[in-house]
This record gives sequence, C-alpha cells and structure tokens, in this order.
Amino acid sequence: MTFLALTAAQAGLLAATTVGIIIGLYLLKLRHRRVLISSSILWRRVLDERQSHSLWEKLRRIISIVIAATIALLIALSLARPEIESLTGKNERIVIVLDTSPTMNTNTSDGKTRWQHAAERAKSLLDSGGPTTEFRVLDTAEVTASAFTTDRNEVRKLIDTMSSKSAEPHFPRVDGRAAQVYFISDGVAIHSTPSFVKRISVFEPANNVGITAFEIRSVPSTPLGYEAYLEIQNFGQPTEAGLTLSGPGGQRIIKTVRLETEQTYKDVFDLSQFAEGGIRATVQAKDDAFPMDDVAFAYLPIKRKTRTLLVTKGNRYLETALKLDNYVELSVTEPASYRESPNIDTYIFDKFAPNAPPARPALIFGTPSAPWLKPAAGEIQKPEITTWSEDHPIMQYVSVHDVAIERAARIDADNLTVVAASKQTPLIVVSEKPKWVMLTFSLEASDFAFHVGFPVFIENVLAWFNRDQLALKRSPGIVDVPLANAQVQTIDGKTDASEQQLGKTIFLANEPGLFAGVRGDTRVHVAVNLANPTFSDVNRSIFKTDRTAARQQFWLRRELWFYMLLASAVLISIEWFTYHRRITL
Amino acid sequence: MSTANVTLFDDEFLKKLEYLNIISKRLFAGQLRAERRTRKRGTGLEFADYRAYVAGDDFRHLDWKAYLRLNRLILKLFEEEEDLPIYFFVDSSQSMSYGNPSKLDYARRVCAALCYIGLANLDRVNVISFANGIKSEMPPQRGKGRIFKIFRFLMEITPGGETHARASFKTYCTETRRRGLAVVISDMFDGNGFESALDILRHVRHDIFVIHIASHEEIDPMLRGELQLVDSENNVSREITITPSLLAAYRAEFNKYCEAIESYCGKYQLGYARTVTDFPFEELVLKVFRQGRFLK
Repeated sequence: MTFLALTAAQAGLLAATTVGIIIGLYLLKLRHRRVLISSSILWRRVLDERQSHSLWEKLRRIISIVIAATIALLIALSLARPEIESLTGKNERIVIVLDTSPTMNTNTSDGKTRWQHAAERAKSLLDSGGPTTEFRVLDTAEVTASAFTTDRNEVRKLIDTMSSKSAEPHFPRVDGRAAQVYFISDGVAIHSTPSFVKRISVFEPANNVGITAFEIRSVPSTPLGYEAYLEIQNFGQPTEAGLTLSGPGGQRIIKTVRLETEQTYKDVFDLSQFAEGGIRATVQAKDDAFPMDDVAFAYLPIKRKTRTLLVTKGNRYLETALKLDNYVELSVTEPASYRESPNIDTYIFDKFAPNAPPARPALIFGTPSAPWLKPAAGEIQKPEITTWSEDHPIMQYVSVHDVAIERAARIDADNLTVVAASKQTPLIVVSEKPKWVMLTFSLEASDFAFHVGFPVFIENVLAWFNRDQLALKRSPGIVDVPLANAQVQTIDGKTDASEQQLGKTIFLANEPGLFAGVRGDTRVHVAVNLANPTFSDVNRSIFKTDRTAARQQFWLRRELWFYMLLASAVLISIEWFTYHRRITL
Repeated sequence: MSTANVTLFDDEFLKKLEYLNIISKRLFAGQLRAERRTRKRGTGLEFADYRAYVAGDDFRHLDWKAYLRLNRLILKLFEEEEDLPIYFFVDSSQSMSYGNPSKLDYARRVCAALCYIGLANLDRVNVISFANGIKSEMPPQRGKGRIFKIFRFLMEITPGGETHARASFKTYCTETRRRGLAVVISDMFDGNGFESALDILRHVRHDIFVIHIASHEEIDPMLRGELQLVDSENNVSREITITPSLLAAYRAEFNKYCEAIESYCGKYQLGYARTVTDFPFEELVLKVFRQGRFLK
C-alpha cells in the first residue's frame, strides 16, 4: 500500500494516533445508569448462565471497540489517499490515440462502423484504468487533443463528440516515457507507430469497390472537347460493379463491369453530349462496406473560343502563341488603331495601354503608362523570380523559376495580387476589379516566351478572364480555395461555412462533393474526392498479422479512499444498528 | 399514621372488606363458623366418647344412668371446641418496597382483608412481619373489633433488610405455637431459597398458603441501554447491557422461578396464588376463599 497524500511514516502516525484516541474515548465513555431493582437473584442467574456459555458475550465488548477503531482508522487513512496496486492499479497516465482516418467509416458485419468499435474500445480502456489513472485522448486528424484528466465522464463525452475525419491521418506526437500510449485503429491508413505504442485493432475484413481516380480533361485532338477519366478498383471479393456518370442536363452514362479481387478497371468517357456543370461518378457494388469512395465529382467547363484582340506594334512570339491556341479567335491591331469593341472577350496589350480601362479583361505586357495602371518607379536589372503562387489559377502548371528577365519596371503593388515577384519588384500582378493581369517586363526583355509554360500561362489567363476552369482537386477534410474573401457554395447552390486564412478561403468537407468559391464574377470550382487507393483498400491492415494489445481490468473504479469512506459508513450503520439492538456494546 | 397509610386503609377499602365479608358468607353459607371442632376432648356440647372415671375428673360429666345400670362410674367425654389460629407472615424485606404500588402496600391490603375475614370468623389472627428475622409480631387477635388494631400494626411495618425466610420461620416456630393456617405473603425473592423456609412451616404441620406478589416491573422490566443494576436488599450492583435477548431470557427465568415455587406448593399440597400489584386484591382474596384454606 502506498499513500498519495502522506508519507508512510505520517500515515502510520495518523493511524496510531487515531486508534489511540478511539480506545481512550472508549475507556472514557459514559458510566452506566444506576437502576434500583427489587432483587438481583433472577438477573444474576440469567447473566451467569449467558456469560458462562456464550463466547459471543465475552467477545462483544472487544468487537465493539474493534469496529469503532476500524471506522476511525478507515476515515483517517482515507485522508492519506492510499493506493493498492493490485486493486486499483498504479497511478499512471494513459494516452488514447483514436484513428480518425476515413477508413474508420468502414462498416463491419454487426452493422456498426470501425469507428464505433474504436469508440467502444476507448471507453473500455477508460474502465480498465485505476481510480488515479489519468487519461488523455488524441486523434490522428490532429483535431482533438485533451489534457490529462481522471474524470472519465469528461473523456467519455469527448469521445462521443469525436468522429472519423476525412483528413489525411498522422500519428500525433506523444511522449511514451510519461504515459502508456494505446492506438485504436483498423491499421489501414497508419502503418507505423512508435515502438512504445500499444495497438488495439478494430479491423475486420470488408468488401469495397471504390473510385480511385476521376478527372475531366481536354481532348488534345479535339478543340474544346472534354473526356472523363474514371478508375475503379475492387478491394474485396469478386463482384459486379455498376458505374454511372451523370451531368446537370440529365445526361447519363451507365456501365456494369465484373471485377476480380484487386482488379482495377480504367475507362475514358466522352463528355461531348454533356452540358456545362458538375459531373458525378458513382459506383455500386454488393456488400460495399465503405461508401465514401463510391462517389466522385468533377466540373465540366464552358466550351467556346475566346475572342481576343492583340494590340501591339508587332510581337511575333505573342502573335504566334495566340494563333496556335485552339481556344482563341485572334484579332491583331496597332495601338493607334485601337478601338474598344463589344465583340471582344479579352484584350492583350503589348507595351501599350489605353487611357481608360477596357470593359473586358486585359493582359498587359511591359509597364505602359496609363492612369488606371500603376506607374513605373524605376527599372530593375536582371530581376530573379524568387516567389510565385502556384495556387493562383493563372499559374497552374506554369513553372517560372528558370525564366530569365533582362529588366523589369519597379511598381507599387498596393491593392494588387502579386503572383510572381523578385526581391526588388513584383513581376506578375493581378487586379481583380477591373480584371487585368500585368507583367512588369516585356517579352523581348525575357525568355519567358520560349518556355513551355508560356502557352499554358496564356491559356490560364484567358481562361481565368472568360472561361470556367476545370475544378481544383482536393481531398476531404479542410479544403482551401485560392480566392480570398470568397463564399463557398455547394453543388446545389447552398452556402457553406468558411474561414479566411492567409489570403485563401478555407472550408471543411468531410465527404466528397463539388464546391465553388464565389467572389463577384470570379468562380473557382473545387472537386473534393477521396479517390485514394490508400484509403479505398480497407483490407490493407497491419492487424492481419499484428496482435492487438490487451489491458488488465482492475476491480475498483475509484480511488481507495472512496471505498474506505464507504466501508466506514457501512460499519457505522452496522454499529448503530447492532448497538441500538444491544447486539454489540 | 402517615398520609400514605391513611389512604391505604381508607373508607373505600373498608367498604371492600364489608363486601368481601358478605361474599364470603354467601360462598360458605351453612357451614360452621367461629366454632371449629377439634380432636381434643374438652368442654364442648357435642358428645364424643365414654371412659372410666379417675380421680380428679369433673364429676359433673359422670353418666349416672350408666352407673345405675353398670355400677361403674363412667365419664362422658365431649369434643373440645376452639378457634383456628391463622398466622400471616408478611414479607417486609427491602425488595417489598419495589413497584408502584409497592408490593408491601399490596401485601398490607391483602393481609388486612384476610385478617378481617378471619376475625369475622372468630379465628385467632396472628400477623408477623419478617425479613432476615422476625421484625415484629402482633399478639393473637380475635373478633372483628380488633381489625383496626391490625390495621395499625400493618401500617407500622416498614420495609428493610434482606429476605431470610428460613431463619425467620425457624425462629417463630421454635416457640411453642399451635398449629394453624400459615399464610405467607411475599415476593418470594430469597437468596437462600424459599423452599427450605416453607419446609420449616410444613414440618411443624401448619396448613400453608403462599401468596406470591410480583410487580409489573419485575415481570416485564422496561429497561434499556447500559445500566448498573443495584439490588435493593443488599446494594450489590452489576453492570449490564440490556438487549432484547437478555430481556427475553430474564422473562423466561422469571416464569421458571414462579413455576418452581408453584410446583413446590403443588407437590406438598400447599395453597398458592400469584398476583401482580395492579390486580384487584378483592379478586385475589376470593381466590383464596375458593381454595378453602380458611375453612377446615
């Protein structure tokens, strides 16, 4: 027995003092009441007979004082918070790490999910701890991280509020020296844990046919043509799977395929008959235990050429690049002949800018002088591109790290979005309203036009100006949209909760879906799909071979002092009962 | 006489005595009263026998007709008629002061009632107060008019001392006494045993009647808790914890004790009546009548 509140010597002294006081008080108890009786003949006979024949009569006084001393001892020692390891377990700390990876949503044969089993195991772990055991709960989504506490109800409530997350799981950082760490998992998404971690399995084999890839892409041979690439895989028993692609206009493609175990089916679907909008792919299979990967989303953009007016004194590279662009219907004019036209979708100004901003978006090369543009404040020689934003739509698939620039104008980028910059000056800036993109260097002063990313850049800019783009690809969990102060809408037009962080709009998507970040005329589509073979393979568990950890259950659930006080209360009741009935003295 | 004594034998008590007298007459109507025949030959009116005359005999009892016929002096003998001595042994030990009303008060009333009946029957009534010896003794009384003297004697009895009935009875019986009815009124708490005391009375061939008086406090003690019981007679104390089982054992012991006395009385054909102090004493007296101890 050890004591948490006192040293052993102090506890011993307390016990001895208490027993001494009780015995002293017992000896000093009130004298017997004097009662006169006519004759003691009969009483003497009764008492002599009882006392001579009953061992109990001889022990009654001893039992009474023993009970009184025991009661006092229990109360006194309970103040010292004693602990008996064999009954209550030792004073320890337990960290419970719950795997909240998406595969924990897999259904099991009893109708529950792996997550529900994990929560039950976590609660049984709470029950296995001793009264002084402190618990802490963490998850692999790094959303939940409680403090150490002995309050099991608090921890139970916390576990009830937790759920499986769609985020990429990571085993949290825990100190294995200060606590026992239990990891409750299906062993699918997280395969490696520190050696001190005891793993508890909730794995059960399951059937699953899931979409492992889905995207819409341009058809290189067909201008403005799009096709859908779909890949599904069977991670369970051989089965037939039904595929469905559906669009906003009621267009639908349905197909049934037979899949053996571990077999992957890949297919490309022509979307020429589909209208602009969200495309939904679904797969149905018998006894599918993991519904999260049975659906995927993509966005099919508008299919129309952009009417573009290039205003230049002559720029062969630019003119050639635009003429080769299948999505561009190009017109070229001299700066002196420039007139704004309602039949133009986009203007490209090469070292020229009109006095008033055009009504349609414009791409500007060089830093021409115009009232609506930032004036040049000097010139920077050989600026080196040090930062650029790959998240911005105009920079997607564009690499500028090795672009050489002879000179660039120095401008003030206030109220502009800088998507590429050197240490001295912004190099590519974007204005949201009016909508224009300006390069602070001319194509002649750089080799940007010779880079493979240049046509992509032009295409991105024109698409950003006038066309819907393909949806950004994201995984379930916390999703970011590269558009500041945007409103997030679901596929059916409902507004979703979002936050602003570092110039991006952040929202939570626990399940696959098609979302749109909307700010004014700007609209950025985000397709949130699981589409991850790591998660879809719900049977790729380490617990196929690893043993699950077990933990000793302790009989007592609270600290020993609680039971000691309880026992003293019971003894007081017994003593009271027996004393008033004169069973004890 | 103290106020308490006045209330003990007040007018109501006397009315009860008169009532008992009437009841007793009705119960035993037609039987002889006041004059009791004995085996002794004496000067009574009833002829008993003849015997030869010897010198000194009262020649008034010579049967002259027999002398003429037989020419011998024949003397007629008559039965002696004498009264019945009744001895009331009243226990006045300290234990008799116990109870409410006290056992001694109850004993006084019973004794007074029986004395009155005895006096009314022209019996010779003796009242003896005893404890660890003969404490006081009233000379034999005869005739109803002596009842107040007996009242006074009873009132003057004070409780005290331990009970030692055997020694008391032995002292009394060693004196020359006529045999008679010995009525022992006591709570029967005698440390030396009451059987040996009654043996003394039995050996001198008294007709014995035992009136055993108990109080409710003795039959069913209302005691609880940690107590120091003090014997009223010898002041011996004993610490005790009263439990329900102990009380039950005491009650069983009390019944056993009473049954032992009753069994003894039954064995030697002694009269026995047990009463409680709140039991109407006139009913007790009638019970005594019904056992016929006053009528030989």
